[in-house]
Parts: sequence; C-alpha cells; structure tokens
Amino acid sequence: MIDPRKLSQVLYIEDSDEARSLVRRLLSNKYVILEASDPLNGLELAEETDPDLILLDDSLPHMTGSEAATRLKKMLPKTPIVIVSGDLTEGARERALAAGAVGFIPKPIDAAFEEQVDAYLNGKVEVLENAEVYLQAYQQELVERLEGNIRQLSNTVERNKHLLQQNERMFSMLERRHRLLETAARVGQMVTSILAIDDLLKHTVNIICSEFNFYYSGIFLVSEDGSWAVLRAGYAAAGRKMMSENYRLPVDEKSMIGNSILKQQAQIALDVAGQESRFKNPFLPNTRSEMALPLIVQSQALGALTVQSDQLNAFAEDDVTSLQAMADQIAIAINNAQLMHKLEAATSELVRTKTFEAIATATGEAIHWVGNKAAPIPGSIKRVREDIRYLLALAGQLNASQAQNESLAAAVQTVREEAQAQGVDLDQVIAEMSAMKKNRLQALVSAESLFEDLEIAENSAVTILSIKEGLIGPARQRNDEAVSLQEMIAKTVQNMGLPEGVVELTWAEDMPNAFVDERQVEQVFNNLIKNAWEALGQTSAPRIYVNGRRDKDPGFVLVTVKDNGPGIPKDIQEKIWVSFFTTKGGSGGTGLGLSAVMQIVNQHGGSISLESEAGQGATFFVRLPVEK
Amino acid sequence: MTTVLLVDDEKLILRSLEKTLLRAGFDVVTASDCKSGSETFAQNSGSIDIAVLDLNMPSFDGMPKTGAGLDLLANLKEQKSSLPVVILTAYDEVTKAKDAVAGGASAFFVKGREQGLVELIEKILNV
Repeated sequence: MIDPRKLSQVLYIEDSDEARSLVRRLLSNKYVILEASDPLNGLELAEETDPDLILLDDSLPHMTGSEAATRLKKMLPKTPIVIVSGDLTEGARERALAAGAVGFIPKPIDAAFEEQVDAYLNGKVEVLENAEVYLQAYQQELVERLEGNIRQLSNTVERNKHLLQQNERMFSMLERRHRLLETAARVGQMVTSILAIDDLLKHTVNIICSEFNFYYSGIFLVSEDGSWAVLRAGYAAAGRKMMSENYRLPVDEKSMIGNSILKQQAQIALDVAGQESRFKNPFLPNTRSEMALPLIVQSQALGALTVQSDQLNAFAEDDVTSLQAMADQIAIAINNAQLMHKLEAATSELVRTKTFEAIATATGEAIHWVGNKAAPIPGSIKRVREDIRYLLALAGQLNASQAQNESLAAAVQTVREEAQAQGVDLDQVIAEMSAMKKNRLQALVSAESLFEDLEIAENSAVTILSIKEGLIGPARQRNDEAVSLQEMIAKTVQNMGLPEGVVELTWAEDMPNAFVDERQVEQVFNNLIKNAWEALGQTSAPRIYVNGRRDKDPGFVLVTVKDNGPGIPKDIQEKIWVSFFTTKGGSGGTGLGLSAVMQIVNQHGGSISLESEAGQGATFFVRLPVEK
Repeated sequence: MTTVLLVDDEKLILRSLEKTLLRAGFDVVTASDCKSGSETFAQNSGSIDIAVLDLNMPSFDGMPKTGAGLDLLANLKEQKSSLPVVILTAYDEVTKAKDAVAGGASAFFVKGREQGLVELIEKILNV
C-alpha cells in the first residue's frame, strides 16, 4: 500500500476537462494530483498546498500560461513549473522558460509524459540559451498585455459611467412616469365620481399643473354649434382672468387648440419663440413650450386640453402619452356628464308625459264616473215634477169650504194660485187624469214612486259627494306611532263582519311593529280586505289570507293580502291604482279605494305592489316602515 | 203592449230607466249582467220586442268587462236575429257604441235624458 502522504503533489492548472482527466489517469497512481481549471484558482491552490511540481496549460482564461508561471515563480520560487503547451510555434519553449518555467512539454502529451514529469520532479531544469533576448521579448509582451488590460479597464469604466447615467435617466423617467400614472389614476378616479363637468375640469387642470410643475393648463369645450372652443377651466390667476373674460378660440387651423380639435390630433410646440403671432397669448406671456391635446370620444372631438410650460422642450414623449391618456379619460367623463344631463332631461320629460297621462286618465275616469253616477238624477227629477203636477192637481180639487180650518183652506188656495203662476194649468191636468184608465192613473199618482225617485236622486248625489271624502282623506295630518299591525288588522277584520272563516291571519314571530298613522293604515287594510271580499263574489270557497313578517329589507314590515278569487287581468293591473277607475259597476265602488291605499302607503315611505295571474287570485304586498 | 228588456249593472240607472219606460207605457223586464240578461230573454223571448243593453257590465263569467254589452248583443242576436237592440253608453264611449251599431245594434243611446230613450224606442219600433 502506498502512503499518499509520501507521494509527491502535482498541481495541474488546465481549463480543458478532457486534458485534466487524461493527466489524472496517467499520473494519479504515482502522485497526488491537484487540479485547477483557471489560473486564479490555481494560484490560490498553489499557495495553500505548496505542491512539488506545477503543470501549467499555456492557454488559460484571464492570463497566459507565461504570466501565470511568472506569478507562481514569485510566489513559490523553489517549486518547479512546467508549461504544457499546444503552442508549437517557434520560440514557444523559450518564452516559457523566460517566464520562469523549468521545462516545456508540447501537446499532445504521449507515453513519455510520465517520465518527463518524473524528471522535472527530480530536479531537471532546462537551460535557456540567449536568455537575455527572450527575457526582453517576454517583458515587452507583458507590457503590451498590460497596456491592453489598462485600455480594456478604462473602456469598462467609461461604459459603466455611461450605464450609470443611463440608469439615472431611466430612474428619473420611471419616477416621472410613475407620477404621471398616479396623476392619471387620480383623474380617472375623479372621472368616475364627479359628474359635474365644471368641477371635474377645474380639478383636472389643478392636478396637471401641481403634479408636473407646468406653468399653465386649461380645458376648452366645443360650443353647441361646433364653431368655438370655449375655455371651461384654467389654472391659477391667468386661468381665472381668462374665464372671467369668456376666453374662446375659433375651431380653425389658426390656434393649436382649434387645430387639435379640427384635426383630432395632438399639437405640440417645443419652442414657441419666433412664432409669436401663432402662440402669443397676453394672459400667458411666459409660455415657451405648449401642447394641445384633443378630447375625443367616439371619433368626436368634444374639446381640447392645453398644457403650457415656461421651459423649452418641456414635453417628453412619456408626458405626451400620459397627458393624452388623461385627456381621453376627461373626454369620457365629459361625455358621461353630457349623456347624464340628456338622460335627466329625457327622464323628466318622460315623467312629465307619464304624469299628464295619469292626470288625463284620472280626469277621464272621474268625468266618466261622475257622469254615470249623475245619470239617473234628471230622470228622477222629471218624474218627481210630473208626480207633483198630478198631486197639485188633486190638491186643487179640494173644496176650500171643506177644509178643516182656515189655514188649510188658505193653503189650498195658495196651491191653486202658485200653480197658476208656475204655468201649471190644474184644470187641464185634471182633464188629462180623468181621461186615464184607473190602473194607469194609480201607477202615476204614487207616493211610493215619488219617494223612490227622491231617493234615487239623493243616493246619486250622495255617492258623487262622497268622493270628496275619499280624495282628501289621505291628506290629513299624520300622527305616526308604533303600531302592532297584528292587533290592528285583527280588529279591522272583526269590525268588517265578514262570514266566519273567510279571513285567515298568520303572523311571523319576529314581525316588528310598524311606525305609521294607525287610522290611515287601518283604512289601507280595510280597503284591501274589502276589495278582496268583493272580488270573491262568485268564488265557491272564498278565502282571504293575510300574512305579516319582517321584509327582506329589515327597515320594513311586509303584509300580504291574498285572495283566491278570479285574479286581476293583466291589462287593468296598472289602471287599478288610478282614481275613479272601478270594475265594480253598480256595486257602488267609488274607484278611490286603491288610489287612496297607494297614496297612504307612499306617504308613509312604504310601497305597495300587486301580483296576480288570471284564475290564481290576487296578492297585494304592502311594505311599511318599522318602529325605529 | 211593447215589452222592453233592460240590462244594466248600475242599480239606480236601471231603476230610473225602468220607471221612465214604464211611465211611457212600456212593459219592462230587467237584468243586471250578461248572464241574467240572456236567461231573462230566453224565458220571455216571445214577448220581448226590444232590448236595451248597457255597454260595460259584468260579462258571462261574472267579471266586469269593458264592452260586455256587445257579447250580450251577439248572444241575443243568436237567439233572435231580428231583435232590435239599443246599446247604452256614457258620452265618452260613443266610438265604441258606433262599433256596436256596425256589429248589429239598431242604435246607441247616450245615458242622460231618459225621455230620449223613449223616443228612440218608439222610433225603432214605429209605435
């Protein structure tokens, strides 16, 4: 067994893996082989291990074999260094020896390699003849290489400096871009939250100037007829001054603003000197760079944004891009605000139309209704008049002398005289009556008929007058308080005296009290239940289900009134809420019930709605505010 | 004696018209909706000379219906095609009433001056 501690150590510095593995195979049975793949590691390893022999490849990264040899020689003067080189040109061996090597083994290595290594380990030193010449040449080479290195280094330093500058520029650009983006984001946020155009524009010019240190910014909007760009927001004192003077520019090619709107393109002037006729604005004497960005939505220019600087060349490409992005957002916001404005106008017009329609419907229904109710009155009165004529004639037949006393005799006399005065010829009436058959005369002279006709006229008039109550009822002063709808509705149902078992009341356990005017809301449920009952006229097993619970919206209590009647046809579901609309015909409805119900519920801040399918009954949903 | 079938769901109107017609010397039978109107006519078809029908009243299913009188008109015409029929309307429904005349009614009458109905019936029946 060989003791590895007694073996010689050979350091092989070589960057080729194949070469190292070949040498390892050839020598490792005899020596301890230390390996390094580049000269810097090799130098370190040499210093640490102090090897017995150093084999050095001639062509290495970072430095040549000769340079490495010189360094190693200085570091370990006693250690023999052999250069193993593929450089077979003339003088390669000599250069190696001049650099401090004791030997030179040409590549490729062969079977003699082991012997050659042995020899160097045993002290073989090749002698260099004319050493002076080679040494000089080697030193010259070193100097040149050194110069080359210095050049390279200084180039690198230059490049680093340039990179550093570039980095700094990039950094400041990034920083500016970041601010631009932040500003754009702020404008974007405003765009979504401010619908008042003038506020939005004012904030925008303020942000643009304060964030970018621009000297001035303003926003123009195109006038209705498209011929003017009117200043709608301007920065600081100059802006205020221009606004107060209604500053505006024609939409033409003569101004940057006009031109940007006309062409729908950004206009940028990085140096306005010498173009004063075009750019001079007495309000903004210090402008040196200026840009006008069109505000475009759906290929329509709504206006333009101007940004001005008191510096030359103030706008980098990034600025233009960011400000144009901002301008686009402002354009969208302006468009939104204008659309909103139009929408509001359209809505109010629609509301107006609908209101007129509702009023017209209600008026029409009212006239129709009153006309219908009044229809029997003239007929009844006409008959009453006839009846009175006959009765007066009969009264006139009384003989004054037969009267019980003088007053009665005077009354008979008065009847005669007044009838005469009214143009009623009593004698002629008597003649008419005498000509009639007995049963015909009895039918005409009927106190029963007389009173019936008076009743018809009276009832018609009373029905018509009752609307007044129905109409002004809900307008009374409200007295809101916590009301248990369960108790109130139960009492209402009891008072209505409906047949046993028709109304079924169910209440959720957590049903809250409502905060309402008890009398008015009692009228609501009274009307709804009465309506349901009337709708059930032809239904064989009439049922009305009343249910109460807390609404999904916890601020409300929901009461549903459902019947199993014939339902309410779709085409009249809207009309039922209109005053005077009634389906009840002769059954005496005023057509005010549901209209009053809706009015009361709405006045309480609640809501009422209806769901009904033909044949499936109808359900009214009443939502009223809960006790707070 | 001339007999009139009078159908209207407004009780006061029905009674008032009935009295006016009675006084004018007609016999009057009354009903308050399409169903009872049709049944009443069927029971008295031999004696009824003319029908006076309200335009809006409960239809055959008992539900209030705009123009239900036209349904009854068609029904009565089926029972007796030669029957003269007068449709009663409010003043603001004259267009519909004219449709009724186009649909087979002899005339329409706007509710109000009841004596006018008497005159109309006399004219139609030539009495």
